[in-house]
Amino acid sequence: MATIDITNLRKEFGDDGEQIVAVDDVDLTIEDGEFLVFVGPSGCGKTTTLRCIGGLEDVTEGTIEFDGTDVTDERARERNVAMVFQNYALYPHMTVERNIGFPLKLSTKQSSEEISARVTEVAELLGIEPLLNKKPKELSGGQQQRVALGRAIIRDPEVFLMDEPLSNLDAKLRSTMRTELQELQKELSVTTAYVTHDQTEAMAMGDRIAVLNHGQLQQVGTAEEVYRSPTNEFVAGFIGSPSINLFTAAVDGNTLTGPDGFTYTLEDTAPLEGRDRVRVGVRPEDLTPVSDGSMPCDVTVVEQMGNENFLYAEMGDIDLTARIESRLNPAEDIGITFGFEEEDLYLFDPQTSSALKTKTSETNVDYQQYVQTGNV
Amino acid sequence: MTLGAIISKIQSSHSYKRASDQLRYKRQTIAEWLPTLPGLPYLYISPFFILFGIFLLFPTVYTLYLSFFTYLGVADGNLFEIQLGAVEIAIPRIANLEFAGLSNYERLLLRDSLFHRSMYNTAFIFFVQVPLMVILGMATALVLDAKFIRAKGLFRTLIALPVATGLVAYSTIFLLLFNDDIGLINYMLESVGATAIPWLTDGFWARITLVIAVTWRWLGYNMIIILAGLQTVPQQLYEAAEIDGASRWQKFRYVTLPQLRPVLLFVVVTSTIGTFQIFAEPYVITGGGPGNATITVVQYIYEQAFLQFNLGYASAASVILVTMVSILSILQIKYGGGED
Repeated sequence: MATIDITNLRKEFGDDGEQIVAVDDVDLTIEDGEFLVFVGPSGCGKTTTLRCIGGLEDVTEGTIEFDGTDVTDERARERNVAMVFQNYALYPHMTVERNIGFPLKLSTKQSSEEISARVTEVAELLGIEPLLNKKPKELSGGQQQRVALGRAIIRDPEVFLMDEPLSNLDAKLRSTMRTELQELQKELSVTTAYVTHDQTEAMAMGDRIAVLNHGQLQQVGTAEEVYRSPTNEFVAGFIGSPSINLFTAAVDGNTLTGPDGFTYTLEDTAPLEGRDRVRVGVRPEDLTPVSDGSMPCDVTVVEQMGNENFLYAEMGDIDLTARIESRLNPAEDIGITFGFEEEDLYLFDPQTSSALKTKTSETNVDYQQYVQTGNV
Repeated sequence: MTLGAIISKIQSSHSYKRASDQLRYKRQTIAEWLPTLPGLPYLYISPFFILFGIFLLFPTVYTLYLSFFTYLGVADGNLFEIQLGAVEIAIPRIANLEFAGLSNYERLLLRDSLFHRSMYNTAFIFFVQVPLMVILGMATALVLDAKFIRAKGLFRTLIALPVATGLVAYSTIFLLLFNDDIGLINYMLESVGATAIPWLTDGFWARITLVIAVTWRWLGYNMIIILAGLQTVPQQLYEAAEIDGASRWQKFRYVTLPQLRPVLLFVVVTSTIGTFQIFAEPYVITGGGPGNATITVVQYIYEQAFLQFNLGYASAASVILVTMVSILSILQIKYGGGED
């Protein structure tokens, strides 16, 4: 197990002519045994960062250290990392048993019996023992996924690297495997770097989440931190589903005004000082229909999710989304007014887009009051 | 303006669009207007079967038929006639034949030492040629597939170019190059102090000369096939192997080779068939000599059929050749193809 220190990591693609900067000056420490998820839109550099950690890409600038040892110029095979690829990359001509045992065969001097015993052990852990004599093409996606995991864990690597390992699975299997992966990682407590474009997956799985955009690290933090206290507008927009509502408003003393009928008076005006415009952000789950709210809208579409309703509305030219109770089911094309609490309001600088104010609502409500001593 | 720009300009013009629409409407109208006759699809696919029947199936079957006969000469008269009122349909006899049973085969397999000699020569070329071709084809393809090689297209074209040369033309060049006394190869060998090699006057070396000639001509063809195969190997398998701790050789051994297996099998089978059909090279370069040391099966068949007009006998030899090549290919596919 290892602590991974990434310092000023930069990766450029393309020679002489056009340079594409895939990873731009990323600084990050992944703690020993931590499950860190890289998340971001396509082309944000998350996979490239992972491949740099694994040694599959040369680094343009910067260093990568495992437990204080500089591995920047070491080849992948010398780093003792294991990787699970998006399409699993199983060896098609080998049986499951040989696929899983392959890393041991190549990188250790263990005898065939020892390898075989270890393969069985891993297969039992993953519940794929009956498949050992099959070839990858005879397996379902989920089974292939487990074999790929088996191949990764068999060597007790210092670092797990996972490149969108669940994205080829169907939704149901994906959520099952999500839980299994987390349990497995906790059990083995191997430092893990995990890449996904799915923010829900990132929130659910990561001890911490690293949000990337345009090759630059935007924020690293727990799910709660990136959700409640995003450092900038991008993180606020990327984390949370449905996405946060964002629009520009004019500052008039302690009041935010317009566009299109929006007015809101703040009690705490500190974030507004010296500004004539701000970017306003309100999460869909913080909007509630009220009789005299600050946001007059026209409802366009209502999506019924069963446990709640997604309400899409227009405030002038601005599209808004609200998550409301399922028993509130407004007809389409009616006018409705939304309100929200100041503690749930986000404000961003319109030029730099960095956060001026984030959620201040209460967290860590004492759950001890609900604990029944008999159950513990 | 480039040609592409001109074409796209024309295609975006109003009159072009109108003309192409008109054409499309016409086509659609014709399609609607055409009656759907029963069995029409069979009419559409019939040209293949007609051509196949005349030029492939009939000669094949007739060769097999001929192999049980002795050819006596061109025939006159009809094989059979049908009188349908005023119309008479007659199939003329092709040849005057005398039934010989299995005697052609018996003589070929048991008594014809020249046929045995030609079989030995062909087998020799096969055993040297096919492994050499696979190894060289693989090696050149791997080199051209390497990331650091520049001007890949140029090298690929240069290596593949011999395939386009005329059989007789290139054979003649080899005849001159490998001439024992005045050939460039021996001149070069002697100029670096080596002894000259009797390329064409020694039986063993004459066969080697043929192997070199065939390899030179077909290497590019096989290289391109292997190269295409190499480029279909998923990059992620190499990356997975790298992560798993594989060295360069192990990646080749455990990823490249198994992934290339079907391609290599194709190369082996086509090369096998190719070497058993070798004709022009011995015909031009060695003339089958010295002393029948390079006469090949096809060359022997040619001599029997078209110089001595032993058509039945030559047919029997052809049948034996086809049988042998088929058995070899089936064995290669059975033991080389894996379970896929």
